Amino acid sequence: MKWLIGLSGALVLLGTDYMLAQNFAYQPDQNWRTPVAAAARQNPLFDKPEAMAGGRKLFLRNCAECHGHDGAGIEKKHSADLQLPVVQVQSDGVLFWKITNGNTAHGMPSWSKLPELQRWQLVLYVRTLGTAPQSPATK
Amino acid sequence: MADTVRTAAPVQRNNFADGILPKHFADRELTTLTSARRITIYFATELQLQMSKTILCMLLFSVISLRTAVAQESPFVVTYTHYMEEPGNLEIETSSTTGVPRNGQQFYSAPYMELEYGVTARWTSEFYLEGQSTPGDSTVFTGWRWENRYKPLDREHWINPVLYLEYEDLNEASRIQKEVEGGGPDLSSRNTLLTRERDHELEGKLILSGDYHDWNISENFIIAKNFSQSEGVEFGYSFGASRPLGRLASGTNCRWCRENFIAGAEMYGGLGSTHSFGVGNTKHYVAPVISWMLNDNSTVRVSTGIGLTRESNPVIIRVGYTYEIQAFGARISHFFGWKP
Repeated sequence: MKWLIGLSGALVLLGTDYMLAQNFAYQPDQNWRTPVAAAARQNPLFDKPEAMAGGRKLFLRNCAECHGHDGAGIEKKHSADLQLPVVQVQSDGVLFWKITNGNTAHGMPSWSKLPELQRWQLVLYVRTLGTAPQSPATK
Repeated sequence: MADTVRTAAPVQRNNFADGILPKHFADRELTTLTSARRITIYFATELQLQMSKTILCMLLFSVISLRTAVAQESPFVVTYTHYMEEPGNLEIETSSTTGVPRNGQQFYSAPYMELEYGVTARWTSEFYLEGQSTPGDSTVFTGWRWENRYKPLDREHWINPVLYLEYEDLNEASRIQKEVEGGGPDLSSRNTLLTRERDHELEGKLILSGDYHDWNISENFIIAKNFSQSEGVEFGYSFGASRPLGRLASGTNCRWCRENFIAGAEMYGGLGSTHSFGVGNTKHYVAPVISWMLNDNSTVRVSTGIGLTRESNPVIIRVGYTYEIQAFGARISHFFGWKP
């Protein structure tokens, strides 16, 4: 009987899984500033586009929960829409620094636990989101 | 082993009379006393069976959820790094510490379950339930712990400090040895004696950790005060280094890729107390460690500690399985209608 109640509770919880909306209103945190030296760093995988596939896997594993599978951000989580030009104009060094340090005061965790090259792989993949077709609501 | 069981039998019966062990085992024990092997297996698995029911319920829920979750865990068992749990994620871990005895010590297995939750990106809270099983003696619940880690700095630095505070409500039979402070646990007395002594302990740690070319190097300094006994203030240490075996992620989901493994070594031990500070009569271990990310949700950790002093176990084997549920806090908040 206890098992049945537990199973029912889990199914109800699953059924009420909330629908999260794309974060159209994303505004970058003006206080989240990258040091100049870090911003100038070049992606060592720049000439290895084959490494992007690994970046996609890492993105889906680590980032998609907050940024969405298409990187469009999630409004309720106040996460960045990575497709927006305001994100894509940032240099590889800035994106790498932000992935590494996070913005812990605003809920973005640090991903320094990932090896350095894997963080650069993430940067490679984030670059491809800028060319992804926008969802109908953003057009 | 048979001799050990025969000499231990009267004490076991006393345990049943005291209600320490379950009645169904008492009946079983009387019919299988001559089979040392059966008793050993039963003692070792009794507590784990109880804990596994709870874990099974949680796993059922998480499997139904069908969400991927990151589970790239540090391979250290004792040493803490500056990596915090992602906010809103719940990590469920079941582990055991198994001690291979020296003369005068007893073989034991100490399973524990850990729930780790990322309260914020800089604050992680953990709750432990633990037990201990000694063949030829008894299986006992040894208590609970609640610990909190807080990262005061919001950026990555050369050295990243993390503050750690833990409250423990345990008895002296606790042997999971998530840390070793003072002289370490009593490895030779019987559980009936050890469970009578309760420990209400407050423990603090200064965790210093940094990353250097994909190596993580961490040091923990431990200070603990047991309010139930006049042991003074106890001290301990641990430090370790680890590195992922693969630096690049492959594009496919593979189980045996190097990128799924992190290997390293840690060393930990007690430093006595304010009554007798130093390494004399204390336990120290050095342990190669490895973690293996089975899939997006699960990680296995294995550590084999080698005892460095006569007071230590010659070998401590630790095995742990971790399952992570992403956005657990948001789901619960939504279910109850709370604001996330």
